[in-house]
Amino acid sequence: MELIAKLKLVNVGDEIEVLSSDKGSANDIPEWVKKVHHEMVGITQQDGYWSIVVRKAK
Amino acid sequence: MASNTLYILLCSGEHEKVQMAAMMASVAAVSERPVEVFVSMNAIHAFEKGLSADKRYHGGAYSKLLKEKKAPDPLTLFRQGRELGDLKLWACSMALDVQGWELDKLEDGLFDEALGLTKFLSDAETGQFVTL
Repeated sequence: MELIAKLKLVNVGDEIEVLSSDKGSANDIPEWVKKVHHEMVGITQQDGYWSIVVRKAK
Repeated sequence: MASNTLYILLCSGEHEKVQMAAMMASVAAVSERPVEVFVSMNAIHAFEKGLSADKRYHGGAYSKLLKEKKAPDPLTLFRQGRELGDLKLWACSMALDVQGWELDKLEDGLFDEALGLTKFLSDAETGQFVTL
């Protein structure tokens, strides 16, 4: 939800990185990004957390 | 393609059902799907103004786990869904009547209005309907 709120505030083309310790987010965020037509930049598993980078596309 | 509206009838005040209703409503709303939630029966108690989280959310085997793992507060999820998407909440006028409550007994900033079941059902004819 925080990602979605932040995406509303930034400019088209800006990227936001989400750090999450929750595997659910690593699954759900890409699905949401696809559904609402933003862009996934990348998702990487770090030591104990996921880094999920999203680009605002519209 | 425009999504059809998701209609959620929330009757149970059990923690896991209130949690699931809030999760479905907020996720659908932020995924550009209109959502309407009709809150009736025992579920209306979870929306009473001024309760602590412990008093507000209880019942069901998952309640303890949801609290321990700090699942997002359902009322916060409903508020976020309203801010970020097209989410409406209606309080069942019958449930308020039998409690002797007005809308102002419920938490502020959540409900659009009190509504009758007949109107909700009629609006819901064209959407997808889920009962919790």
